[in-house]
Amino acid sequence: MNRHLAPLLLVAAFAALPIGAQTQPAPAPTPTQTPSAPPAAATAPKQDLVLILNGNQRPLLKLAFPALSGGATLTAGASAAAQELEQALRDDLDASRIFAIQGPAELGSLTLSGDATKDYEQYASLGNEVLLVGEFKEEEGKLVLEGRIQDLKSGQSILGKRYRGEYSVARRMAHTFADEIVLYFTGKRGVALTSIAFYSDRDGAKEIYLMDADGKNQRRITAHKSISMSPTWSPKGDQIAYVSFFDGGPSIYLVDIASGAKRALVADGPLNISPSFSSDGKQIAFARSLSGNTEIFAADADGKNMRQLTHSPGIDANPSWSPSGREIAFTSNRSGNPHIYIMDAEGTNVRRITFEGEYNDGAAWRPDGTAIAYATRHGNSFELAITDVVSLQSREITSGPGSKEAPSFSPDGRRIVYESSAGGSRQIWTIGADGTGPRALTQGSNNMGPDWSAYPPN
Amino acid sequence: MNRRLLASLGIVALSALLMACPKKPPKTNAEDMTTKTTTVAPQPTDITAPATSKPVADKTPDPLAGDLQNVNTYVQAQGLVGDVFFDYDRAELKPEARERLAKNAQWLNANPQFLVALEGHCDERGTNEYNLALGDRRAGAARDYLQSLGVNTGRLKTISYGEERPFCTEHDESCFSQNRRAHFMITGRANAG
Repeated sequence: MNRHLAPLLLVAAFAALPIGAQTQPAPAPTPTQTPSAPPAAATAPKQDLVLILNGNQRPLLKLAFPALSGGATLTAGASAAAQELEQALRDDLDASRIFAIQGPAELGSLTLSGDATKDYEQYASLGNEVLLVGEFKEEEGKLVLEGRIQDLKSGQSILGKRYRGEYSVARRMAHTFADEIVLYFTGKRGVALTSIAFYSDRDGAKEIYLMDADGKNQRRITAHKSISMSPTWSPKGDQIAYVSFFDGGPSIYLVDIASGAKRALVADGPLNISPSFSSDGKQIAFARSLSGNTEIFAADADGKNMRQLTHSPGIDANPSWSPSGREIAFTSNRSGNPHIYIMDAEGTNVRRITFEGEYNDGAAWRPDGTAIAYATRHGNSFELAITDVVSLQSREITSGPGSKEAPSFSPDGRRIVYESSAGGSRQIWTIGADGTGPRALTQGSNNMGPDWSAYPPN
Repeated sequence: MNRRLLASLGIVALSALLMACPKKPPKTNAEDMTTKTTTVAPQPTDITAPATSKPVADKTPDPLAGDLQNVNTYVQAQGLVGDVFFDYDRAELKPEARERLAKNAQWLNANPQFLVALEGHCDERGTNEYNLALGDRRAGAARDYLQSLGVNTGRLKTISYGEERPFCTEHDESCFSQNRRAHFMITGRANAG
């Protein structure tokens, strides 16, 4: 118990100054409609990768999350929005891979007195370390949530927030609160407000789709009625580069998400595939073939100034620009089988980084640039693995039924989105970067090739 | 020549039959049954009659003259042009693939008016992205061998579909082997000068 509480207290001590001061009078949470600026104090633990490679794990923080109150006083519209908000908040916190949550079902056996101090003891008696309570209200036709987090040991309120918005933004209110809570406990904003791009055959042809990080709000953004695949976000999140066959061979196109405007980026030659933006968004790497031998190329983000980076007789494919912008990971079979390599962004200093397995592909950089996730084949199917780019120590993070491929890190580096055939069809899943908590985000048809966006601009 | 003629007549007759298929399923109503049989029956005989009653060689439609879809069906059915298959993860041409490509080259050189797409395909056991590169390599290997046999590669266009357009969708080797191929598709005719 004490051992488990230690990380909480440590983090709380870090963050207590900026947030604690702001939220000390817990019963009157700070009025905010939008999230307040993140505290500058807390920094991410440096040993994340060590934890990942050792198989985890920061222990999950035990969070009691009883039903939010006040729902009964709301009008019908607000009540529906409140239910949606609460469910989204539970899903976000569960998906964050930070908390072990006891909800209304697990807490139902408690006989609460209404006396806060005694009730904290009750929650703590089930092993909980922190408590999330909240109350819904209605103001001027808008839904209000006042939520706060209590440290069950000290009895102190450690985070208080107030959100108000139209019923239609209830999910957004939940995501914003969830991201604030994750920021408080980890020093890194949560990813509930980010998005995932993927391709799907649900409408017959393969088209590009977007969805929220929790799998909701799925919408199609192409209508080529052909094969469109390999979506990749621009670092600003305003554009997506993708591959489509609608004009013949696979070519690279760019779609502006707000306007829907599309244009060709690299469309000459028989094969231009697997686009990846540089971290500043000014360049794009891709695989290109003119005569049956794919090589890695780069070009300016408008498709101009194309230059060849690799020159090997084998296959060089699937580039992924590093977060620092200085390197590009890619797949090559120059050693006989497909393996992951890294080169400097100019094409020099090529070095192999995977040595385990017979077929590795799909390099995805961790946002801090210290590790790469990829798919490694066993027999007829793939598992996901992560390797440290310096020590080259690697570890598989998935197992069990289905083939898993196309990993992409969440912008906080804590989770990975990927494609899995575990349920028969191909679907989008997420999993903690430590290999815990797999969750399916899509159902039905086939949904493939996911790419997780960066944080949205504030 | 006679066999080719008969075969082409057969294809014409078959396509006529297909085109003559009634669009609506026959009704089960007893009253309608009688009228249905009288209207449907004459159609195939009407259309196939001219073809069978005029076996004059110089009036026979050239199987290579018509719609490209029919040309593709014809050359594949006649074994004039065929697909080649690959081993798992490989793009090297096997001996039987070279034999097949030699026949394809013979026909392509004898019929230089046709433009051909060489599609590279892969089974689902690779990754989506790597398979696009592997399919390109398979199509390229077939193209290079045809070139060595004198085929003008200006007529050939390679296109890799990776695993995105499989011929067969079961998750077993009977399908995997069908999907690891370079597929020949006649896509047009050169503009004769």
